[in-house]
Amino acid sequence: MSRTPGRKQDSHKISRELFVLTYGALVAQLCKDYEKDEDVNSCLDKMGYGIGIRLIDDFLAHSDVKRCRSYSETADMIAQVAFKMYLGVTPTVSCSSAAGNEFSLILDKNPLVDFVEELPAERASLCYCNLLCGVIRGALEMVHLAAEVTFLQDRLKGDAVTEIGITFLRKAEDKKAKKK
Amino acid sequence: ARLGIICRPPQNYPLYIRSVPTENELKFHYTVHTSLDVVDEKISAMGKAMVDQRELYLGLLYPTEDYKVYGYVTNSKVKFVMVVDSSNTALRDNEIRSMFRKLHNSYTDIMCNPFYNPGDRIHSRAFDNMVNSMMMQVC
Repeated sequence: MSRTPGRKQDSHKISRELFVLTYGALVAQLCKDYEKDEDVNSCLDKMGYGIGIRLIDDFLAHSDVKRCRSYSETADMIAQVAFKMYLGVTPTVSCSSAAGNEFSLILDKNPLVDFVEELPAERASLCYCNLLCGVIRGALEMVHLAAEVTFLQDRLKGDAVTEIGITFLRKAEDKKAKKK
Repeated sequence: ARLGIICRPPQNYPLYIRSVPTENELKFHYTVHTSLDVVDEKISAMGKAMVDQRELYLGLLYPTEDYKVYGYVTNSKVKFVMVVDSSNTALRDNEIRSMFRKLHNSYTDIMCNPFYNPGDRIHSRAFDNMVNSMMMQVC
């Protein structure tokens, strides 16, 4: 992950392999610490939440985004700007409800699972990338958008694609000048 | 017929064995285990200079009347052994080298899997597919 120039003079990148291996080590250690998959999943979600509430400021500082006027703009922003900036991939966004508050991001390439071929047999309901759900949830909460974020489909579990579902829970407030 | 085997020190037990066709498998296992001694000999003969990439490929370990045995050892002392029929004279040295390189690359991918514990037997579909396609090429 690199920092955009202009903030500091250095724009060094960290190796992608190091990041992917670090994430893998994190998940493997959690699997050793907790017996149940649900515990590991919720732990990853909490960690992701902690990252998300801090990452949002970094994101807003580095990306020149306008204020989002609708949920679908927000979802597009997450997919096309945030994912691109931090993970280098761009999921496709689709709206999956008539009310306009449920969206899904479809990832056809997920760098976090580069080295993981498939989940071990005893961990069949592990959401390997659940950290991402927590990050999105935390980031949205800091801009006053409550949302539920979960994995709807997961390639590691045998589905065809990896799909993250975002459900916005409340109407966005219009008063303050918030951006996402 | 061919057999590949990967062994890790210090116990030198096999992490992965595959042979095609599968009869006479015990004889292959025996050949491979004895060739591990030859690998150890070669490593110790090279001494401390064994850090060059070219040195990883050990070449023909020893020919018997039926088989030729080739060896390859990584810097982390993981040994790869390949046994081919002597009748298979079409295999050239650089083909063997490239097969070992593919094995090594696939092995590093397995090591990067966070759920794989070093020392476990290898049960990876991607690895199996790679080995199968290599064996198809040879046999």
